[in-house]
Amino acid sequence: MKVSVFITCLVDQLCPNVGVSMVAVLRRVGCEVVFDERQTCCGQPAFNTGYRNEAQKFAKRFIKIFEESAAEAIVSPSGSCVAMVKHFHELFPTDEKWRERAGKIAARTHEFGSFLVNVLKVEDVGASSTGRITWHDACHGLRDLNIRDEPRRLLKNVKGVEFVEMSNADVCCGFGGTFSVKFPEISAGILDNKIESIEKADVCAVVSGDASCLMQIGGRLSRLDSKVKPMHLAEILACQNHLR
Amino acid sequence: MTEVNGQTVKQDEARKAILSSIRAHLATSAPFDADWREHHGYASEGVAVWEPIRMAMSSAALAHVFCANLESVGGHCTVVADETEAAKQVGKIIDQLDPRRIAISNSELIGRLVERNAAVEIVENAHAEYLFDCDLGVTSAQWAIAETGTLVLESDRESHRLTSLVPPVHLCVLRAADIRQTLGEILELASRDLSRTVTFITGASRTSDIELTLAIGVHGPGELHVIVIAD
Amino acid sequence: MHLTSETFDQNARDALRDPVLHGALRNLADNFVERRRAAIASVDDWEGLREKARVIKEQTLCHLDRYLLQFVENAEKAGVKFHWARDGKEACGIVLNLLKKRGAKHVVKSKSMATEEIHLNAALEAEGIEPVETDLGEWIIQLAGETPSHIVVPAIHKTKAQIADLFVDKVGIEKTDDVDVLTRTARNILRQRFAEAEVGISGVNFGVAETGTIVILENEGNIRLTTGLPKTHIAVMGIEKIIPKFADLDVFLKLLPRSGTGQRLTAYQSIITGVKRNVTDEGPDEIHIVLMDNGRSRMLAHPVTRQSLACIRCGACLNACPVYQQVGGHAYGSVYPGPIGAVITPQLIGISKAKQLPYASSLCGACREVCPVKIDIPELLLHLRAEITDGTAGGAESNPQRKRKFTESLAFRMYGFAWSGPVSYGLGIKAARLMQKLVVRDGRIGKVSGFVAKLLPPLGAWTAWRDAPAVAERSFREQWRDGLGNNSQWSVVSGQ
Repeated sequence: MKVSVFITCLVDQLCPNVGVSMVAVLRRVGCEVVFDERQTCCGQPAFNTGYRNEAQKFAKRFIKIFEESAAEAIVSPSGSCVAMVKHFHELFPTDEKWRERAGKIAARTHEFGSFLVNVLKVEDVGASSTGRITWHDACHGLRDLNIRDEPRRLLKNVKGVEFVEMSNADVCCGFGGTFSVKFPEISAGILDNKIESIEKADVCAVVSGDASCLMQIGGRLSRLDSKVKPMHLAEILACQNHLR
Repeated sequence: MTEVNGQTVKQDEARKAILSSIRAHLATSAPFDADWREHHGYASEGVAVWEPIRMAMSSAALAHVFCANLESVGGHCTVVADETEAAKQVGKIIDQLDPRRIAISNSELIGRLVERNAAVEIVENAHAEYLFDCDLGVTSAQWAIAETGTLVLESDRESHRLTSLVPPVHLCVLRAADIRQTLGEILELASRDLSRTVTFITGASRTSDIELTLAIGVHGPGELHVIVIAD
Repeated sequence: MHLTSETFDQNARDALRDPVLHGALRNLADNFVERRRAAIASVDDWEGLREKARVIKEQTLCHLDRYLLQFVENAEKAGVKFHWARDGKEACGIVLNLLKKRGAKHVVKSKSMATEEIHLNAALEAEGIEPVETDLGEWIIQLAGETPSHIVVPAIHKTKAQIADLFVDKVGIEKTDDVDVLTRTARNILRQRFAEAEVGISGVNFGVAETGTIVILENEGNIRLTTGLPKTHIAVMGIEKIIPKFADLDVFLKLLPRSGTGQRLTAYQSIITGVKRNVTDEGPDEIHIVLMDNGRSRMLAHPVTRQSLACIRCGACLNACPVYQQVGGHAYGSVYPGPIGAVITPQLIGISKAKQLPYASSLCGACREVCPVKIDIPELLLHLRAEITDGTAGGAESNPQRKRKFTESLAFRMYGFAWSGPVSYGLGIKAARLMQKLVVRDGRIGKVSGFVAKLLPPLGAWTAWRDAPAVAERSFREQWRDGLGNNSQWSVVSGQ
């Protein structure tokens, strides 16, 4: 299948390895991967802060670029950005044509883990690693896209890894985009509950599907000099220790 | 309108203003309605049709389920065979509680079941102020809901609103034939000839307002006894 | 001192430093979240029930004028007197007028969010009538001179010890740590108030249009006393409380207790249809219903805001909300706290007075997940945010731009420009890489303060608690150009 990857700004600039890993996994399961270099941002920061005019510009840009792609699917390593694409139509409440175009793009766009399991019907991508890991449900993936079992199934198929559920895996990490800097104390309070759950689970890595949550969780783990590593789903699925 | 003239005029004005505000704002929303409904998957017409689920359960089975659910919320429940047994059970509970004063509702059944004797003062249809000095209130119930352990009191058929509420203990006698499985069935029965006040009672009066710690008997009865007559 | 919505951030910071509040909130989350989960498991098709409720509410709200009139007509037939109030002031005036005409000196009140919303107690007290709150939690709050911090458990922020001290101080009991003793104290004192009350004031949970019935749920029995003992019963209800049919109660009586307190049914439901038929019957001689708009009809203007009116005040979204769990109810500076408060308060009191509230959410969606009537609270929050920044809530093109917060607006314009195409995007990234050399140590950005924090406030706010990642040496797109784009390159092993 021909797949056009939507890399997201955070991944492109702050953790490109997530994108690189996703490309590797997609190719491993037989996809032909294309990347349109014109892509920038989905506009979610603007949309979530209330700047709909700006968000609409980003949406139009995104729609135009990906409409040109012949790829059957648009795949992104972020539940949050995919959820934004699904929101695009709300930016054109009275513009039938753009709403239709937004809807068509949204239908083709998939979160990475969900794409593997639900579209490609692959649950074992031939990954292997070591250690005990847990999963943090990123809110938008979980509640906007209804992705709950997919990443867990994928992780349970990583050879050599012990998967454990932490308590309150489905509770927010406190990131929330601009919320994290508008109300940093509240955000940090919520985050510390998450860190407590992670530490209790006694794992070497906490895996999630959104780079933004990982930045929040990882930033605190790093500040606390924790031994737990934040990892994106794509990164662990890209691991093939047995080939080394 | 019983109010003075000025008030009536103002009221009429307020009523008209609110209704026209509702209509004007609903009209404004119309252009966005279709998209929003589509997004959320709601049909634009057709209120959900309500159909109560009817269970084919014997009254004995219903009594059993009712008792179990009532007890799960702290009520005490006894099933007896007939009125004679019920009278005995009522006597037994009264002996245990040893009340000075008992308030009873105007139910004929209750009148038959509560034994008069000199030791206890029994007041039928007591006035409110008198009820505050009663130690026990005895009523019947018109219906009960098995799935929740709920008593249903209809005010047009018995005067039991306050008798079931003010004294610290409420004893209720109920016929098994009046128990239904679901809330939906009871709502349908109650709506046929709707009493001025229908009261649902599920267990004793309770609160969790202090540190979410359960405390029983805050404003209503702290104890609820139910006797179900099977025949 | 009562907090206001305008100072949410400061209120929240103060709340975060209160260890007593934190214990109480943890207790709330642990208890109610679990109880709710257990209670909804006793319904076969919880999702179907929520869906039904949502459809009923949506249909009712779309024809609210019709259903309101039907409700009024049927209740009037049963002897109820109606009063229409455009706003809180009018509603308070109506109640006050009713009390004065009856020469009422003793008034008992049961818990009602609508009367909290319009500050009825203060309005009556100003005229020399002190209504006694009879719900245990509300009574505690009234004695303490505070406001409720939760829709269902108003005194959740107070410990047993604080309540005991309050009772020692205000009603002269011996110091105790026994909740039963505290509860009994309230019972005994409030019984006298009930016995002498001429008027009882309540709220309404549901008004049934088909029958003119009002339905009120409770656990304590104080509502049954308030509506059953005094000669006059006054019910204050928002115009949104209407449901069309009596049978619809089957849906809402299943949803509300399970969502609110995790009960299958609360201890009591009072289902009241009009006044008594004969003088010898039990119950009040007269029932008055005050139908209150107070900003509600405005919410009908858009399907997104209209959802606010579907709320049945169960409090489930508060219990599920990570933000509420951190800061409690008072920080919101409104009688409606938590996620639902963050959307209702700005609409009721005006967005300019509660600008921070729509932003007081991480948009995690836990509120939407638990809402028994499926209100999409995140959607509402976003709608209000757009209203605040652009006045564009109705749609991006529908309104002219409003005055925006200058720095934030500038930042978003810069971001809009930088991300508008690959060239400007590349330039922006190059600048960031250059600038970060000032702050990056070991590949991460630690606590940033002083000049840099002033220059970039968000970076300062972020790094006060968390390290920030550095901009990567080679971005994804650079790596793509440098060979990753070649589809024959099959295995890329990530750095473990």
